[in-house]
Amino acid sequence: MATIDYDVLIIGSGASGGMAANTLTRSGVKCLMLDAGPLVDFNRQRQQKQAYELPYHGFGEPGKLPHVVQANEFNAHQWVDEKEVPYTHDPSTPYNWVRVRMIGGKSLFWARMSFRLSDYEFKAKDHDGFGENWPIDHATLAPFYSRVEPIFRVSGRREGLKQLPDGEFEEDTTPWSESMSRFIVQAKKRDIPVTKMRRALGRGQFASSYNLLIPDAVQTGNLTIVANAVVRNLTVDRNTGLVDGVNFVDRHSKREMHAKARVVVVAASCLESTRILLNSKIANSSGALGHYLHDQTYITQGVVAIDKSRNGNQGGGSGGYVPRFVNLKKGNEEDFIRGYAFDFNLAGTPDPKYIPAYGAELEKALNDYRGRAASVTIMGEVLPRYENCVTIDNNLVDAYGIPVLHFQCKYTDNEAKMLKHAMTTFEELCRESNFETLAKHDQPWPPGYSIHELGTCRMGDDPKKSVLNKWNQSHDIKNLFVVDGSSFVTGGYQNPTMTILSLSMRASEYIVDQMKARAI
Amino acid sequence: MKRRNFVRALAVTPAAGSLLAQRPAPAVDEPPKIEISVADAVAESTPRFLNKAQFDALEKLGDLLLPAINGAPGSREVEAPQFLDFLIGRSDAARQMAYTAGLDGLNAQAHRQFNKPFADLDNSKAATLLGSLHQTWTYEEPSDPVARFLRVAKADLRTATLNSREYGAGKRFTGSGLYWYPLD
Repeated sequence: MATIDYDVLIIGSGASGGMAANTLTRSGVKCLMLDAGPLVDFNRQRQQKQAYELPYHGFGEPGKLPHVVQANEFNAHQWVDEKEVPYTHDPSTPYNWVRVRMIGGKSLFWARMSFRLSDYEFKAKDHDGFGENWPIDHATLAPFYSRVEPIFRVSGRREGLKQLPDGEFEEDTTPWSESMSRFIVQAKKRDIPVTKMRRALGRGQFASSYNLLIPDAVQTGNLTIVANAVVRNLTVDRNTGLVDGVNFVDRHSKREMHAKARVVVVAASCLESTRILLNSKIANSSGALGHYLHDQTYITQGVVAIDKSRNGNQGGGSGGYVPRFVNLKKGNEEDFIRGYAFDFNLAGTPDPKYIPAYGAELEKALNDYRGRAASVTIMGEVLPRYENCVTIDNNLVDAYGIPVLHFQCKYTDNEAKMLKHAMTTFEELCRESNFETLAKHDQPWPPGYSIHELGTCRMGDDPKKSVLNKWNQSHDIKNLFVVDGSSFVTGGYQNPTMTILSLSMRASEYIVDQMKARAI
Repeated sequence: MKRRNFVRALAVTPAAGSLLAQRPAPAVDEPPKIEISVADAVAESTPRFLNKAQFDALEKLGDLLLPAINGAPGSREVEAPQFLDFLIGRSDAARQMAYTAGLDGLNAQAHRQFNKPFADLDNSKAATLLGSLHQTWTYEEPSDPVARFLRVAKADLRTATLNSREYGAGKRFTGSGLYWYPLD
């Protein structure tokens, strides 16, 4: 069968690939989308079960998915099997690479926390001198955020905070609980803002490219999707130096295939995109490809505290969000740079492990503490450093014969000092709000835990320091675009999905313009 | 007549066709729904990993950490130790060592202080060996292997008990979720 020449070939169907497909096809561009995983029939694929019906009663199969803390025996099959697609790292510096391969990608499972980056991130170097600025600012991306947010139906409350720009929200008018009101009073004394969570409501059970972006693209008649297509590498026309397609492996048969296109958009998620480019041996004249790997450093249950009051959870919502509040003013810096956020709840029930009791005494305490426990997830900015990187491990291939990634990544003193500050601050806020500490710690999960890997194909104005220009376009190959989180210069403390979607929309509209102008 | 030929004959015989037509036909030709049970409902698992002294100590520990309370079955009633014996036997060496060293340590302490294995102590004496569970939680694991094991066992016995079929049978909250089958 003759190969079809598509206008644009998109690798990946998650947030960034879905947005590229949506934007391009609605402009009349013929697209081919390849995804490494299947199209899932969710009604057939999933079933409500009791833990005792599972072989390991909910404990999970020992040794399966050792790097995926989020995995359990119920959802183990939704994650990429580490034996099928392995990766390597030094045992002393673990990296938790959490992956999904199915149409919709990780957008099927994200936490839906929906934030904009501010100019504290876009122009971070101007603020504290570290690293590089983005080649764009918030004003540049704001119109795209404003179009993405309604698609995903982001709920939130407009606060006018410079460090967390407002968006086009479905206004959250729910009241605060009594304990939250108490907490907010104490936070205000320290000039610490507390907001409602900004969260994508989506439609039905999903807030995913699977239901919000891809169906419209399919409706245009301009999108062809091929599932179970594991991309090995991009191919280059020797005469022009441009990319002209991709080699891929059929997931089931292992058959090697080649697909052609005029433009290639890589949207396979940060590290898979980087792996494809590294295995293609292209787009790296800067030497930056694979470097500056960063994410957000996470502590879960950083502080667990019990409300001394017994009516704290009355009156409204007990969950809140504290955006970055440190290092915003020059001359008032901490002993670390950048900042962190709190995602917290004041009306939970503590994990029994934190209660120093057992037997009947433990059960009594659990009943007593039910609905009165504060807990916090601390999310801190990680500095993008050249030495934190991925390279190709030529000694190991995956189940498809594709060389795997080797990780070299670790957090540094800046992150450690930041997390200690965060834990101490939250504990103090709890104490001042009439909570008693049950447990606390300042130890983060290994890098990768947040599933917010970023930065390994970063954008910039200088081709010697960056892989992509400000349009997510390769400096080296003008018909190659990378539109996922790998294009970030800094990640801030904010969950990145809204920014990824906005960048992909913006880059895709640029592609349309460039194709119309016959520039690519 | 072989069945295949018999069926073929029915298909070409008008009278037979009429007879079949008189029977009430099922509304939809759906496969039957057959209820099945789970192994835990009909059988006991055989301890295989822990030796008898270790298993007896784990069973005793379960009595203390998760006794039957307010009509809810405890660790022993739901056979949580038997399940953990299976689970630990399938686990990596570090987890196996945590259990064997911890249970051996508990027995050694019981012998040293009371001249009996842990399983044979009355509850008040056994409780004196579980003091570390009354200490404030710290991120760092205790250096003492018994204290380290007790922390793990407290969580594991609880999960094994609350996720058991017997615990859920009383309409109590038990572990459940949306299970993902392997991807096609």
